[in-house]
Amino acid sequence: MELFKRNKVATAVLVVLAAVGIGAWVWQLMNGLTVTGMSNGVSWGTYIIMFMFFVGLSAGGLIVASSASVFHIKAFKKVALPAIILSTVCICLAGMFVLIDLGGIQRVWRIVTGPNPASPLVWDMAVITLYLIINILYLYFMRKGAERAVTIVSRFALPTAVLVHSVTAWIFGLQIAKEGWFTAILAPIFVASAMDSGLALLLIVLAVLNGTGRFETPKELFASLAGLLATCIAIDAYFIGCELLTMGYPGASGAETLAIMTSGATAPFFWFEVIGGLLIPFLVLVFAKNRQKTGLVVGASVLVVAGVLCKRIWLLLTSFATLNIEGAPGVMGADGWSLLGLYAPTLVEIAIVVGVISVGALGFMALASKLLVPAAQTETAPAKVRAAAATDLDFDPQTA
Amino acid sequence: MTKYGMAINKTRCIGCHTCAYACKMQNGVAKGARWNRVLTEGCDVEDGALGQYPALSRSYLPLACQHCENPACQRVCPTGATYKDEMGRVEIDYDKCIGCRMCMAACPYNARSFNWEEPVHQPDFVYGDKDVPQRTKGVAEKCTFCKERTDRGEEPRCVQCCPLDARIFGDLDDPNSEVSKAIATRHGYQLLEEQGTRPQVYYFE
Repeated sequence: MELFKRNKVATAVLVVLAAVGIGAWVWQLMNGLTVTGMSNGVSWGTYIIMFMFFVGLSAGGLIVASSASVFHIKAFKKVALPAIILSTVCICLAGMFVLIDLGGIQRVWRIVTGPNPASPLVWDMAVITLYLIINILYLYFMRKGAERAVTIVSRFALPTAVLVHSVTAWIFGLQIAKEGWFTAILAPIFVASAMDSGLALLLIVLAVLNGTGRFETPKELFASLAGLLATCIAIDAYFIGCELLTMGYPGASGAETLAIMTSGATAPFFWFEVIGGLLIPFLVLVFAKNRQKTGLVVGASVLVVAGVLCKRIWLLLTSFATLNIEGAPGVMGADGWSLLGLYAPTLVEIAIVVGVISVGALGFMALASKLLVPAAQTETAPAKVRAAAATDLDFDPQTA
Repeated sequence: MTKYGMAINKTRCIGCHTCAYACKMQNGVAKGARWNRVLTEGCDVEDGALGQYPALSRSYLPLACQHCENPACQRVCPTGATYKDEMGRVEIDYDKCIGCRMCMAACPYNARSFNWEEPVHQPDFVYGDKDVPQRTKGVAEKCTFCKERTDRGEEPRCVQCCPLDARIFGDLDDPNSEVSKAIATRHGYQLLEEQGTRPQVYYFE
């Protein structure tokens, strides 16, 4: 594991964070989900937010890699390997978050022995497993250089990627009880935000790999992926705009939900996403000149990823903010009876999330050491120089 | 077929919470949980009033599982832990519940209560009907229409204990049952009818 040896400090920090996270999870298993901020009022929280977020993040990789062969975009083939590694790691993390969220993980086998085919959760587990298998097959065939097999797998990979995001959306979008979720456009929104956040994360990772000389991405390809990102942001913004208009226009119950987003409890997340996650990155990336500057592209990508995280937060929590049937004393919240859904993550939840992400980073480093041949060993002299100059994974967009 | 249902006379409800606590005692419902809540409608405090003095009004809404004919919770349950039984009740098989809380997100009535921790009982012993199964941490629970009592031919505890006789329990499939007649003659209505869950709990004034 060469990357671990070269980044001893980072590896050590990640191992410690992962260990703390595992410890927090054991604590949660011992005490129950009461160690989280969730309650009967807000029955899903950070774990489900992170689940949605990481399912989305895993999209970019697989979609870029498989469109390389489905749509014959030759240039994309160059980054297929790191893209699929990223996609594999992210989907594993998403699966981990679902399992961590379960109150009775010791009975999880019941989903296999007695699945209810009407449950979107059953289909989500199935399609995520399929997606993971496709990712692994993809990696395997790419590693073996089996061109034909890669082409075949990519034909299945693209529709599966779309399905993964759609089925994840349907966990929420099919619930008539929740005003903010129950909309047909939720699946397209999930696909769009998966594409923009996934692509943004891919660009960040490619820039980091570039900076360390581990993997060289041609400048034109980097710029063209940034252009694709701008398009995805625009599509995402368009879908969200359609949904907001439909919610607000009749001035009925949807408008009340919209008011929670625009001026209520989830407003900071909503406005950060609209301005920081959609508007600013789009305005940066829409100009070809800016797409040539790695620093600007990475900055915009970071904003997109943060914006989509905020979107997951407002999407989930807005619909828990009020009760369909109101009246004192309301429902039991984390701090007693409450008429409103109140939620804040606890330290345990944060430790677990940080731990899971650290496991993901370690997983990525392990896979990258095994599968990515350093540019310095195979390619041109300038790459060698850059590889020597960059000694660790810390990335400064200003100098890259 | 039998389809158990309930009709609640809202005019009779005085908000005494006897049903809520009788339910807790019958079913061994732990601290912090109520299968049956009595809500003061439109108010942010219990027993508050609406309007401006002297034109004040106050009404109560006893709320528990609606035992829907089209239960959203049963539809989404990944393991079939939530099911519609042969008597038309929505029940939970706790051995199958994986604690995913999909049902809680799906229920429009917030009828469900989750065991966030190992149930705490106050007073410090396990009270309740001996036939009612104990729940552990990590499973969802809710009103069962007092399955154990109704299986023995008794009325649910809330119906039996209501001092105002505001609750009527019986078979909705039998047009001559007291509950069916009350719904038919007293203009019984369901909560959140527009959600299409078709509750088997009706309210009338």
